[in-house]
Amino acid sequence: MKMKKQTVSQWVKSGDPWVWLNAGAVAISVIMVLGLLTLIAVRGLGHFWPADIAQGTYSLPGSAPYTLVAERVETTEVPAAQLREAGINVADHHDLMQRTLMKTGNRDVYGSDFRWILDEYFTDVTKPEMLFAAERHEWGNLYGYLKAVKEDGQVVESTEDLTPTASALATWAVFEKSIERATKIYDAIHEVEKDEIGAINHKLERLRLEQRRLELNDALTPQKQADLDAKRAEQDALYQGLQQRLIDLYAQINRDTFVVQVMDGSIHELQVAKVVRAYRPNAMGIPQKIGFYGAKVWEFLSAEPREANTEGGVFPAIFGTVMMVLLMTVLVTPFGVVAAVYLREYAKQGVVTRTIRIAVNNLAGVPSIVYGVFGLGFFIYFMGSGIDQAFFPEALPSPTFGTGGLMWASVTLALLTVPVVIVATEEGLSRIPRNVREGSLALGATKAETLWRVVLPMASPAIMTGVILAVARAAGEVAPLMLVGVVKLAPSLPLDGNYPYIHLDQKFMHLGFHIYDVGFQSPNVEAARPLVYATALLLVIVIALLNLSAVTIRNHLREKYKSLEM
Amino acid sequence: MSDTKTHSIDISTMQRSHNTLRIEDEKVCLSVKDLHLYYGEKEALKGIDMIIPEKKVTAFIGPSGCGKSTLLRCFNRMNDLVDSCRITGDINLHNQNIYAKGTDVAELRRRIGMVFQKPNPFPKSIYENVAYGLRIQGINKKRVIDETVEWALRSAALWDEVKDRLHESALGMSGGQQQRLVIARTVAVKPEVLLLDEPASALDPISTLKIEELIHELKNEFTIAIVTHNMQQAARVSDYTAFMYMGDMVEFGDTNTLFTNPTKQQTEDYITGRYG
Repeated sequence: MKMKKQTVSQWVKSGDPWVWLNAGAVAISVIMVLGLLTLIAVRGLGHFWPADIAQGTYSLPGSAPYTLVAERVETTEVPAAQLREAGINVADHHDLMQRTLMKTGNRDVYGSDFRWILDEYFTDVTKPEMLFAAERHEWGNLYGYLKAVKEDGQVVESTEDLTPTASALATWAVFEKSIERATKIYDAIHEVEKDEIGAINHKLERLRLEQRRLELNDALTPQKQADLDAKRAEQDALYQGLQQRLIDLYAQINRDTFVVQVMDGSIHELQVAKVVRAYRPNAMGIPQKIGFYGAKVWEFLSAEPREANTEGGVFPAIFGTVMMVLLMTVLVTPFGVVAAVYLREYAKQGVVTRTIRIAVNNLAGVPSIVYGVFGLGFFIYFMGSGIDQAFFPEALPSPTFGTGGLMWASVTLALLTVPVVIVATEEGLSRIPRNVREGSLALGATKAETLWRVVLPMASPAIMTGVILAVARAAGEVAPLMLVGVVKLAPSLPLDGNYPYIHLDQKFMHLGFHIYDVGFQSPNVEAARPLVYATALLLVIVIALLNLSAVTIRNHLREKYKSLEM
Repeated sequence: MSDTKTHSIDISTMQRSHNTLRIEDEKVCLSVKDLHLYYGEKEALKGIDMIIPEKKVTAFIGPSGCGKSTLLRCFNRMNDLVDSCRITGDINLHNQNIYAKGTDVAELRRRIGMVFQKPNPFPKSIYENVAYGLRIQGINKKRVIDETVEWALRSAALWDEVKDRLHESALGMSGGQQQRLVIARTVAVKPEVLLLDEPASALDPISTLKIEELIHELKNEFTIAIVTHNMQQAARVSDYTAFMYMGDMVEFGDTNTLFTNPTKQQTEDYITGRYG
């Protein structure tokens, strides 16, 4: 006993408990981070996997049995007592029952996409090969059996079989071809509507603004009026041409229809043009599923959202996030560095400087929503409307910079992160050895030359550290953005081919806000939930990438100036 | 000659001429008149009067904290960087008061270059280190800079060692090379005076020897003032020596005389190693 006590006290003395404590804390942090990432990764990435479609009979005691065709989404256990209270006649021997959320799709037919079932009463489950799922531009997924494909109302190919017979497969092949054709036309329409007509609208708007400006300046001579009218007529003519092309395309796209039998046996005829893609998951092998998965992930990354953001991709949100962060970086870095240089190098070190430094440090702790309110009140309502009156009077009363937009969001976030850059830069400046500065001064350099040519390059790794921290904070910030320019759906990207190419006044989409919007503002919560996880994962990845690139730059700079720890 | 062997330092072994120099014969480069320097309340220099002769090496010796570095830093107004520092008295560079109002300090520092105790190359290439002073002056012609860089590196006896790696980082050089690079950098702007603040104290004996040889070469073109802790070094490299103690100039005279026949007891005590 005595022996053991000694060893315990020796163990404490040896410092091992500290090592264990520290290692334990690190381990817990790592586990929490990994757990978080794993959770969102599993939930988010699973969404894109083409799940099998099950068909079976659902016979809940007390209600009529019916055929159910659906995808399994998730399973939970519920106490039987709770079900009994809800009026469902569950057999007495159950305490817990498995309950599964099934995605039945066909919202246009049944009114909702999802229903909960009790596994116990779902019997005769099969996975028929000819069952297909179709993603549509509206009304969500469709599940059913293909019966026929029609062209201009005439049946091209049809089948009565629900099994993969020759006629069923032939009909499917025709259907796939028809979708391919419709998709091409759809893309063409999209291009005309969004890009070409968008560009014409942009030009017409600019002409209108020019005319208005001339009117305001009393400079609208008949000559100029005629000039503007001629330009407008030119654009109108272009528009008429495009309009005609659109009419043709719409006529073509609506040529094909298909007939489908859904789970309650009813037959529906739908337009092929409404289908994004159709697939038969039960007939797919693993390689095909992986291919399909890749296509879906790519769509998520590269496409625009559909159906109130619950389907399709998040590209505009990725673009908006990255662009806003880059713009914020461009704004915050020079501003923070200049401020830090003044505080550290030029200002007289005294009570005032110390007070300013404390204030700057505390600024980093102000809740971000406060910055949002400040951005709205000062930047948008005060500065923005001032800018509008000074530079864009022709657009009034509709605001240009007097409303939330990319620039004000970036400026607000720059303000939010500038303390971090100031603190890091000051730290870096204070660590530049005095003898290097003196070396430069002794060669006849002025203080400014010394700063610019020697001190700042040497402090650049520290400045980059500040920028990294600023990026990390800004990219994840949502609350202030909701007040200064983020929207749930932006009609166009803030960077495009229309003059002046970067539209700083435009509202934009943001991954963080997208998560909030999809998860909590969506009418179809069940459909949106996996997207919340996927978008969250993406946001983490985007921030990690932004940070990694900044870290790479910093390491490069560090390598260049390493020696200075003399 | 037995009278050259005094105390602990054998001047005769130091390969120097035994001719006694006379300060009155020298051209005056820098003259100091009644210079007082205060750090806050503390008086660090207590009325210094001396001249630095042109194209000669003047050494400052004395125990740590005696003010020799502080005095050196007065010559190119490096003490301006210290907030609490206050100076009275005059320092004239060729009869022009460097503490006069409106003096262009950057121009002054170009004319009076300084090399510090620790090598302080910039984190740039060897070439850019030497070209730095020229670029500051707005010289950007590549040919001019190329020539000056080569001349400066040759002057610092460094050219042969680095001519093949001019565009590599200066931070990859040895300490001795770095110190010679700093000298080359200082020489490149063609100053009139070189101030050396213990230039060899952070170096090994061989590098130290090289620096000393270099000083011998450089004094043909520049007026040199050197602060050193090492009395043998002072005796080896300098023509004139000033001994300072507690902010006072105790003795100033030609090196041979000061080391062989000091007039003040304090000087003798110091150079014989009795204190300091």
